[in-house]
Amino acid sequence: PAVARENNCLNAAKACNLNDTCKKYRSAYISPCTSRVSSAEVCNKRKCHKALRQFFDKVPPKHSYGMLYCSCPVSDQSACSERRRQTIVPVCSYEEKQKPNCLELQASCKTNYICRSRLADFFVNCQPEPRSLSGCLKENYADCLLSYSGIVGTVMTPNYLRSAKISVSPFCDCNNSGNNKDECDKLTEFFTENTCLRNAIQAFGNGTDVGVWQPMSPV
Amino acid sequence: ISVQTRGCLLKEVHLNVTDLRLGYQTKEELIFRYCSGPCVEAETNYDKILNNLTHNKKLDRDTPSRTCCRPIAFDDDLSFLDDNNAYHTLKKHSARKCACV
Repeated sequence: PAVARENNCLNAAKACNLNDTCKKYRSAYISPCTSRVSSAEVCNKRKCHKALRQFFDKVPPKHSYGMLYCSCPVSDQSACSERRRQTIVPVCSYEEKQKPNCLELQASCKTNYICRSRLADFFVNCQPEPRSLSGCLKENYADCLLSYSGIVGTVMTPNYLRSAKISVSPFCDCNNSGNNKDECDKLTEFFTENTCLRNAIQAFGNGTDVGVWQPMSPV
Repeated sequence: ISVQTRGCLLKEVHLNVTDLRLGYQTKEELIFRYCSGPCVEAETNYDKILNNLTHNKKLDRDTPSRTCCRPIAFDDDLSFLDDNNAYHTLKKHSARKCACV
């Protein structure tokens, strides 16, 4: 179909800057996430994460999700998708000099109460279930999106990968997993190959978030 | 400073960031707020004297500024992503509160 080549991620950014609350909290995280603190560090990661958590805590989902879950055409690997990838300022909030092992990263998350509880929420609310029409065990996309945005600003901060389909991952891999390779693969696949999360993100992007999977109530 | 003047008001205009002509290449937009309006009501004896002295040419070629409608507080910072995927943050770029000063 002749879909206009609209950049939904750009439109969401425009809408954010025209809203006083969204504009304020957007620049409140972009500033610390883009300010170099020393020749060795591109930013103060702790401050960047804190401001990112504030953004998702304070800004209404219409605007914050609009930017985080904006939909891009499958063919697009540039303007729209790259802007979506840049939403969380990955150079500061996401990337590290070295990729840690995902199980090690999870262990360090569990030492922090915010990270531990938010990661637990994410595992519960985005649990995939192939037999359900929504793809989710808990058939509630809104809860899954909320828990995913909740781990942005923790050490497990996930981001979109540069791939044709929607796939996200924290900044880690399963090298050096030893005996725990299977456990580590299961952890990463919960992010990268999660049908529930993918459907929730797509449903938000297409504006079909509500009512598509819920059983019809008897008339 | 006299905040309660009727003439000097906060106004706003919806612009593209490129309209600001600050050299940024981006498709993002903003609301720019500025102060505008007359400040005659707020003038003091000082302003009247300046007016008279400039007319009488008593101040050589000096023309000191009289009461102006200016921002006394600025809006929150504005951030945007440019066409090369670099972020920029503008500070003190837009007015929040106006007064005759």
